[in-house]
Amino acid sequence: MIEIKNLTKKYGKKLAVDHLNLSIAKGELFGFIGPNGAGKTTTLHIMAGILGATEGSATIGGIDVAEEPKRAKKLIGFIPDRPFVYEKLTGSEFMHFIGDLYGVPEATLPAKAEDLLMRFSLYDWANHLIESYSHGMKQRLIIASALLHDPEVLIVDEPMVGLDPAGIRMVKTIFRKLTDNGKTIFMSTHSLEIAEELCDRIGIIHNGRLIALGTTGDLRTTARLKEGDLEEAFLRLTGKDDS
Amino acid sequence: MNEILSLISPRWFSFKNGGMAQNAGNRRIRFFLFAVIGAAFWLGAFFIFYRVLTYFRGVEEFGDILSRKLLSMVIMTFFSLLVFSGIITSLSKLYLSRDLILIHSLPVERFRIFIARWIESTIDSSWMAVLFSIPVFLSYGVVYQAGPFYYGIAGMTLIPFCLISSLLSVLLVLIVAAVLPAGRIRTLFVFMGLVFVVALILAFRLMRPERLVNPESFASLVLYLQEMEISGSPFLPTTWAFDGLFHALANQHAAALFDLVLSLSAAAALFYIAVWIAGSLYFKGYTKAQTSAEKLLVRKKAPRPHCVRPLTIIPRTTRTLAAKEVRTLLRDQTQWTQLFLIAALIVVYLYNFSVLPMEQAKIRPIYLQNLFSFLNMGLAAFVLVAVVARFVYPAVSCEGDAFWIIRAAPLELRMFLWVKFFVYYLPLLVLAEVLIVSSNILLQVTPFMMVLSIATIFLTTPGIVALGIGFGAAYPDFHSENPSQSVTSFGGLLFMLLAAGFILLVIVLEAGPVYQFFIADIHGRTLSAPQMVRLIISFGLVLVACILSVVLPMRFGQRRLSE
Repeated sequence: MIEIKNLTKKYGKKLAVDHLNLSIAKGELFGFIGPNGAGKTTTLHIMAGILGATEGSATIGGIDVAEEPKRAKKLIGFIPDRPFVYEKLTGSEFMHFIGDLYGVPEATLPAKAEDLLMRFSLYDWANHLIESYSHGMKQRLIIASALLHDPEVLIVDEPMVGLDPAGIRMVKTIFRKLTDNGKTIFMSTHSLEIAEELCDRIGIIHNGRLIALGTTGDLRTTARLKEGDLEEAFLRLTGKDDS
Repeated sequence: MNEILSLISPRWFSFKNGGMAQNAGNRRIRFFLFAVIGAAFWLGAFFIFYRVLTYFRGVEEFGDILSRKLLSMVIMTFFSLLVFSGIITSLSKLYLSRDLILIHSLPVERFRIFIARWIESTIDSSWMAVLFSIPVFLSYGVVYQAGPFYYGIAGMTLIPFCLISSLLSVLLVLIVAAVLPAGRIRTLFVFMGLVFVVALILAFRLMRPERLVNPESFASLVLYLQEMEISGSPFLPTTWAFDGLFHALANQHAAALFDLVLSLSAAAALFYIAVWIAGSLYFKGYTKAQTSAEKLLVRKKAPRPHCVRPLTIIPRTTRTLAAKEVRTLLRDQTQWTQLFLIAALIVVYLYNFSVLPMEQAKIRPIYLQNLFSFLNMGLAAFVLVAVVARFVYPAVSCEGDAFWIIRAAPLELRMFLWVKFFVYYLPLLVLAEVLIVSSNILLQVTPFMMVLSIATIFLTTPGIVALGIGFGAAYPDFHSENPSQSVTSFGGLLFMLLAAGFILLVIVLEAGPVYQFFIADIHGRTLSAPQMVRLIISFGLVLVACILSVVLPMRFGQRRLSE
């Protein structure tokens, strides 16, 4: 469902992503982890068509994001790490705005928007200006809006930041349900517990390079650990293990 | 004191490190352009005041009274501007800035935070007024042949003058912020301030200050003198500044020093009062400012909020982008309230035409009317540039950090920019045409000039709007706390220069053929063949320039925004 080939991004002389190759199957929940500044967000932004690559390609459902961004974006739901939205719109207006942009059929849009607002506990706030929402509410609104057009692929940057425990549980359940229904999720996270709990496979990126890929067990093997959790494997592989 | 300096230091470091930023080259060019424009204004102001004061000095008996009146008006205007600017700046610095959460988490006493923020606010709100008051004071010194004592007093007077205005602003803000959340106060103050400025502009203009130089227009000499000799209250800081300056001009050293000390002591007293009040009110107001802006706009349940239902023939994406643009603009009171200011400027603009003393001119009125009408096209276009600079240029930057939504959506940036273009183009075209038609009616111009003006504005408006959208997209500032200030950036200046150049080009291209046509018409002749060819080429070039001014900036903006 997602093919990343030789993806490279340079910011001036700095190499943010270095010849990255990845293949994610349909229905897979893929975790993308790495230290700060490793190139996670840059990779996600290129996949979502927000940023251009210096070299290489990213295809979603067989469509090259750089060559046919409009078609590719229709398949993607993007959830950024920080919930920046139009503060002067109401939650309901924002959902309709996103629905219109992604071409959600007008006949089904109101019911769909209402349903999602309810599922994300935002229905009572639907007609309030977003500027009065808390950080967590804005994050939930963005997740809800990203699901509005039933995307085949969900690209998620740090989904749990700012969410309360109930919100985290809600998102976890929704993500699992989506992959059970054949949707693909590419998720970047700093929370190793969540990655371990949710993801089918995990990729570790460090200094722009993919240094390990596989299940938690595979990563342990790569890190030459007989036992221990993902955290130990991560620290060993990224060279941050002081012990 | 060290803590206060430390609190101010980030500002200094940001300024110092500006040269290390990625856009340092742009910053230098911007600084240079600002310096050139500033110097031009500065010299212009000096020249105008010098000429006016020289003329006043030549008027026997009343000359000094006129000079005094002018200075008191200038001081009063500066003071009003300083107080208004101080209110807006201190509100932002003390209650609304993003860095306040960090600042209040620091182990620093609150009164020190207050003093540090007040110092920043005072500098921000007064540097420009100080800079542009210098040519005024300098011209008085030159015309009155003052010695170094006057210049010393003038320089020293500015310090307590700015401090007092800033302290009065901050005291007002402290008291009101303890009662109302700061976010709403800003809206309230911006609104009230604009009403005040509008009233000031209208009152000043409708007073017809040009009559001050024409004593004949007064019913009697007595009335004239009465009007001139109304002095200010002895309790006003503006009176102390005014008296100090005039005593210094008259070499009355003791009296000038007394006025200066009066100002300084008032500033010191106000400072202590402000710090004392801040001790009990500042944190209370700050806490209030952090409370959620709950239920700012609660609507009845509206499942499909379409305000543009009749426009269903327009593609859905276009419609929704346009609706979003209009909603976000209209719901931000700090944006649309500035329309009042524009409305006032337009009223003043039109009023000026209605009071033009054409019958007193030595040139034949028909020449003058058409000459003014021709210049009026340029002036109306410049008014349009000012409006575009304020509302259209920042339109892309106003997307702010939410711009990722547009980038991630299955949408072409070209369409996003064209929607912005049309949202602003249509109302601005109406505004510009209303402006040109009403001023031409007031000028009683010939039908030819009327048609030419309407056509020229119709053709140039899209170009000016496209320049605003294009350059706003090419040089966006998505992280600014106040996107409307983005017009002071490098891209904003480039936009203003190019827009001005575009207008001048159109005027220059039209001027020659129009003059020939006009002369031929007056003498009852028709245009010769070469004149006709010239007219066609000139108007053809105007058309090409207008088309290019739409296409090129829009493409440039799209390309830069895509990068």
